Amino acid sequence: MSEQVSRRDFLKLAGLGAATTAVLTGCGPASRYVTREPYQQMPEYNSVGQSTYYATTCRECAAACGLVVRTYQGRAIKVEGNANHPLNLGKTCARGQATLHGLYNPDRVTDPIKKSRGDSAGEIVDWNAAIQAVADALKNNQPDEIAFLLGTSSDHLFDLVTDLANSTGINAPIRFGAMSMFESRATLSKAAENLFGQTGLPWFDVGNADVVFSFGANFLETWLSPLSYTRGFAQMRKATETKLRGRFVQFEARMSATGGKADEWVSLRPGTEALVALAIGRLVAEIRGGSVPRIFSSVEPADAAEQAGVKLEALEHLAEMFANSKAVAIPGGPALGQSNGLAVAEAVLALNALVNNFGKSGGVYLSALAPNQTEYNRPASSQEMQALVEKMKSGAIKVLFVHGVNPVFEIPNSLGFKDALSNVGQVISFATFPDETALEADYVLPDHHGLEGWGYQRVTTGTDLPVLSGAQPVVTPYYNTRSTADVLIAAAQLAGGSFASALPFADEVEFLEKKVSALMSESNGSFSALDSTAFMATFQQFGGWWKNVDSKVTPNAGSVLNKNVKAEVAEFAGEGEFFFVPFMSPTLGEAGANKPWLQELPDPTTTVMWTTWVEINPETAHELHLENDEVVRVISEAGEIEVPVYLYPAIRPDTIAIPFGQGHTAYGRYAENRGANPADLLGKHFNEAGDLAFAGMKVRIEKTGKTKPVSRLESRMGVYGEELGEEH
Amino acid sequence: MTTLSDLKISEVKLEGEHVGKWGMVIDQDICTGCQACVAACSMENNIPFVGEEDSGYGRAMHWIRIERFWEGEYPEVKMTNQQPMMCQQCGSAPCEPVCPAFATVHSQAEQLNLQVYNRCVGTRYCANNCPYQVRTFNWRDYQRPEPLPNQFNPDVTVRRRGVMEKCTFCIQRIHKAQDKAKSEGREVADGEFTTACAQACPSNAITFGRIDKEDTLVYQMMHHGQSHGKKHLEELGTLPSITYMNGGGA
Repeated sequence: MSEQVSRRDFLKLAGLGAATTAVLTGCGPASRYVTREPYQQMPEYNSVGQSTYYATTCRECAAACGLVVRTYQGRAIKVEGNANHPLNLGKTCARGQATLHGLYNPDRVTDPIKKSRGDSAGEIVDWNAAIQAVADALKNNQPDEIAFLLGTSSDHLFDLVTDLANSTGINAPIRFGAMSMFESRATLSKAAENLFGQTGLPWFDVGNADVVFSFGANFLETWLSPLSYTRGFAQMRKATETKLRGRFVQFEARMSATGGKADEWVSLRPGTEALVALAIGRLVAEIRGGSVPRIFSSVEPADAAEQAGVKLEALEHLAEMFANSKAVAIPGGPALGQSNGLAVAEAVLALNALVNNFGKSGGVYLSALAPNQTEYNRPASSQEMQALVEKMKSGAIKVLFVHGVNPVFEIPNSLGFKDALSNVGQVISFATFPDETALEADYVLPDHHGLEGWGYQRVTTGTDLPVLSGAQPVVTPYYNTRSTADVLIAAAQLAGGSFASALPFADEVEFLEKKVSALMSESNGSFSALDSTAFMATFQQFGGWWKNVDSKVTPNAGSVLNKNVKAEVAEFAGEGEFFFVPFMSPTLGEAGANKPWLQELPDPTTTVMWTTWVEINPETAHELHLENDEVVRVISEAGEIEVPVYLYPAIRPDTIAIPFGQGHTAYGRYAENRGANPADLLGKHFNEAGDLAFAGMKVRIEKTGKTKPVSRLESRMGVYGEELGEEH
Repeated sequence: MTTLSDLKISEVKLEGEHVGKWGMVIDQDICTGCQACVAACSMENNIPFVGEEDSGYGRAMHWIRIERFWEGEYPEVKMTNQQPMMCQQCGSAPCEPVCPAFATVHSQAEQLNLQVYNRCVGTRYCANNCPYQVRTFNWRDYQRPEPLPNQFNPDVTVRRRGVMEKCTFCIQRIHKAQDKAKSEGREVADGEFTTACAQACPSNAITFGRIDKEDTLVYQMMHHGQSHGKKHLEELGTLPSITYMNGGGA
């Protein structure tokens, strides 16, 4: 498999490339639409030595950034941002850049396989047999015994399965992922519903604000729509002739990469975010004069400051800053993943009501709905996911289809997903990579990689415009994979009856054409066309369709300040001296561990590469006689993991933190047996909105006597230890 | 008093004598350290990943890295503004005169420090002499198993072990834009193309362009406002082409 590539081999390979791609053409319906020809019959849009560029949509997270992929003689060479795309305006994040290491990953699932559970290898079946197996699974079970578990992308598959569910009575698809768990989307939208009486996902116009208060939101890393929030941050920070440099305050127990950019970093005791937000609200109200609104009246600032472990003067100074400028407050991250996460979200949103920034430049909006969406459709909360697990456990689910998510890895053990799988008669995975869930499946019917497939993704937040982002294959499928939408359409036809009539399409592209051309009649579109074929072609060429109308929704501020928010400290589960903050790795995300260049990107805060670490305050470590690289056992009520210590100078002494993203037992050579999974430590505790209280655990640590040298970019010389805090 | 120009060291080029053509302005105040530039650079320039062990020994081959430092102690601890660090394309580069093989040469055409891989014999003198520590040595033929090589950029050499590598300001992109402009009988327009890092940067912290022409964005940024930004270690007389700003001159 592996071989070293010299320059000479590379040139040989470049010469051979054209012939190879010609061989690879012709598997799956995508070949009907995309062909790559050898040199001799170069298509007119392609010529030797010239690159061809295709617009598509990134599938590394659910944000739906537009990409333009540079291809060269049938190979994808480089990912760039789509400069015309309203969400990312030509920018990409590290995960988007590394998506090619997924496409050309040496450990992809190459063929459809039938296998026994727990085995990685199995018998290769042909696609007809695979489709027959799916058809049998649909036909031979009662509709309510069939469930689909989908990831947060891509939306076209979700729509297809939703259509199937609506007309056949199978369970509506559940969408879940570790990313949505760490984002606490359900909490955010529930808080908006409680305060405004409107559904939707709040959007914070950071770019036009002068002061930004973030309560735990990691909006410069992975949160909701990191590229658009980063663009906003840059705009806010930059001084111009008409505005001063904006200021940014972050409240959190462990300095995140986002918090690292803050002008003032307030290290509060975990669980006191709601109290602090309410206390600041009260102080702001007092500064601005008039009576203190009801929502802030129950909290005593001095008391809140003491609970949070910050000085009252600090809160007063922050309140002054907030009261006298164009300010916005954002709740997010670990602050929402606590037992009182909903109260935190409401308290922080209420701060915005106080400065009356709803629906105003630099304030809070509800995100524009995507073009073919009638209401905000968020991924499942952990509690809704748990409901599916319970059904699986009870044997009510006979067939489970899994696509775009790796639940065995991503869902905390305590929710019991893996155990529940054994009560499910048949598990069919559509995984592109041999992940932990594929390992536990009976069939693995690999979908194309995102860059080889069709689709669309709705932009749920991050831009003023309603955007449907389009995806098209930029290269022909490299392996014998097949689009899951095509498999389902073909299987539904085979199954007959209501299944066949639910999906009356020749293939995925016809389905997409039907969905996308429904937008033709809309006014103010980014383009128009006379017929659906031209519309679809333009949709692909531009990488999507958007409506040039500012469609953000102004939240209904009316009664926000008269609501009640519980002014309580969060409850923490388990015994132990440390608060535990798990966080999404900013570079790996939920599914980046199998991409070698993402592994070798230094973490923005610690500069660690290729492994998991636990962040401990150097003072605490000194008291416990712990050094860098010493492996400790972190123990919670739900489980334990072993991780090497990283002395992190920007974390509370009573808190430890571990990044999520590593700890795979499968998922290819670059991910396997590397680091540890902090989800193993998370107990089954939810907040009031049904999101997991992932930051609501207490843990203890034990020495193991082992050490593991942690690879990091920063110099080790003189770092921390006696010279803590010195500049190096 | 002896001045630098009295020494008549041919390798030392003084300001005014040559003006670097291509340059960058990096605003550290808005850099978030997200590593998008590092990933983009690696993908554009066929940079090998070295794996956990070698990266632990400091052999990771990033052509660009984000430096961050700490100030103060908890709870008054502060992460200093992120500092993207790559070859500064010095006007008077310390790496150049020490190469016995003339592999690190100064290009008159682009005013860049070139690295000629097939001249490089791996003495590593240049890396020792680089005050910015931005040269990375290719210690092994790092494995890139099939089909990962499909992703290689055909415009950039795939290096073998034993050579020194560094940021080239994406010279392949410079040449492509120049060729295109030439064939169309015009000059390269400002912003017509940019380096991989600047192109990816989500906060637009990196701006690339001609620094010898007054109508370019980089030039404007360098000469606008109170502060003209700073060049790293310019007291060494290296004449770097990259200007660092903390807050756009405010």
